[in-house]
Amino acid sequence: MSELADAITNLKEDEALRIVRHRLEVGEEPISLVAECRRGMTIVGELYRKKEYFLGELIMSGEIFKQAMSLIEPKLKGDIRTEIIGQVVLGTVKGDIHNLGKDIVAGLLRIAGFEVFDLGADVAPQVFVEKLVETGAPIVGLSGLITPSFESMKDTVKAIEEKGIRDKVKVVIGGGIVIKQVKDYVGADAFTRDAAEGVEMCQEFMKRVEKC
Amino acid sequence: MSGIYEEGGEVLKETMTPRGRVQAAIDLQVPDRVPVLPFWTIYFACRYKGMNGYQMIKDYERARQANIEVFDELGGFDGQVYPGISFVFPDRLSRIIREPLYKIPGIDLPLDSVLQHDECEILSPEDYDLIADLGWKAFAEKYYGKFNSRPASQILDWGRRQTARYMEDIKAWNEHGVPVYQGGQVFSPLMFFSMFRTLQQFTLDLYRRPDRVEAAMDALVDDVIQDGIDSAKLTGLPWVMLVLERGGSFYYPLKIFERFEWPYLKKITEAWVKAGITPQLHFDQDWTLNLPYFKELPKGCICEFDSCTDIFKTKEILGGIQCIMGDVSASLLTYGTRDEVEEYCTKLIDVVGKGGGFILSSGCNVPVDAKFENVKAMIDTAKNYAPAGALQEEKPCLSLEKR
Repeated sequence: MSELADAITNLKEDEALRIVRHRLEVGEEPISLVAECRRGMTIVGELYRKKEYFLGELIMSGEIFKQAMSLIEPKLKGDIRTEIIGQVVLGTVKGDIHNLGKDIVAGLLRIAGFEVFDLGADVAPQVFVEKLVETGAPIVGLSGLITPSFESMKDTVKAIEEKGIRDKVKVVIGGGIVIKQVKDYVGADAFTRDAAEGVEMCQEFMKRVEKC
Repeated sequence: MSGIYEEGGEVLKETMTPRGRVQAAIDLQVPDRVPVLPFWTIYFACRYKGMNGYQMIKDYERARQANIEVFDELGGFDGQVYPGISFVFPDRLSRIIREPLYKIPGIDLPLDSVLQHDECEILSPEDYDLIADLGWKAFAEKYYGKFNSRPASQILDWGRRQTARYMEDIKAWNEHGVPVYQGGQVFSPLMFFSMFRTLQQFTLDLYRRPDRVEAAMDALVDDVIQDGIDSAKLTGLPWVMLVLERGGSFYYPLKIFERFEWPYLKKITEAWVKAGITPQLHFDQDWTLNLPYFKELPKGCICEFDSCTDIFKTKEILGGIQCIMGDVSASLLTYGTRDEVEEYCTKLIDVVGKGGGFILSSGCNVPVDAKFENVKAMIDTAKNYAPAGALQEEKPCLSLEKR
């Protein structure tokens, strides 16, 4: 593992940023630094899945990654979109103002290479539909922490159906208390209580999209 | 309906009062049946009675009445954990401003919504040092404007109104013959700082400036202890909820828990138990990896879980050591079937209730949109289901009836 990936994996913020600054100064290709940063985050994700790392490490490493990218991105010459592996429309549904879970998922998705259209919290069904139509994103993530949000999730799925794009969009619902019965009630394709698992689901969906 | 009622044939013969039954569970003894304490503020009952979130707050008398009616329509149970939707505040700014901000149905949220925490970055990293240097109380009195823009007199008046309504709620339940248990609520130091810095910023603080966070927590913890003790004195109810969520193994590795949650959790519970208070440790989210630590907590705590922690693992680790409460999930109460609720509660009684020390309860609050029949299924299962060898094989602690 490179020194940079290692610093990110071990949450050494100052060291990671020092390495990035130095290597940019000596003229290294920024795209290789992006790859190393992503490698560090991939290892963080693996440690999280093995329950050796927790949400705290995801947040801290995500912050280091974000700062590193803010140094690297201005130096990127080509189109960074070549790095994007998929698009996800994401938001906390109408009537629910809880942002935290959604924000964590958004950060992890970006790190994994997704372009994320984050609509914020308390988002009406029609807003999700409009963004899906505008972007053509094949995945929508609906977040909610309280049980009344499940009704809004159902309304959102219904609105997607009414727009005639349900077969083009995978719906993932997430939140601390979702269970299979909620997924069935809402009419979603998948559910998760775990941010990292949610990212894996999106990666799986993208593989199927690519095969189509 | 599943066959459990047919097997039992009839409602179990109750030989203890609700309060005695609950106390027996706290004392790790075997009650006449598993006590059942689904808890909510007012939302579930009021929604069931056709009130929206705004009406519940604006017409509180009607909300209180709805709460009592629904208790009766459910056939009653072993008492109210919370008496209503208000808070208890010792009469000081330093306690009142630690209550998180809320968004309110009909004002900030849709009419039919529920109160929701409005988490925002009220404290700055520099405040850790100020709190450590001044002490929490002096910091709060000097800088209360960070938390609330109203004059101190208005903040205090609001706190007094909240406390007065809490006391009225207790009175209404007691006049109805229903015990109320909880006499106060406070957030752990970690929860407080996480809520007022936000989860994201607080987490970064733990890595970037751990010594300053720890110093501020050290300066706060005695106030948390005293606020709990004074709340219990105010209400006459020696049972205080310590709100815990963000220090557990869903959020952080054990090394962070060991430094920023565990020492304070231990200190608070030890002080409260010494003061005659039953700590209700409200463990939201997944604390499975932290469970072994709780064996060291003083006897007399209630460890309450919301369905995210493995409750069966909890029984293996804490059974016979701490009272366990929980954990019928909000989703199951709302989207499960009656049979699914019965099945889960039966399993809880069989496994977690075995040998006593268990209170059957909702995992966190009964949600506003829970199915009435599901909540009733939980209550009825506790009342009617007697697993072979789980309860009656041991002699009930009848002496507790006098408590």
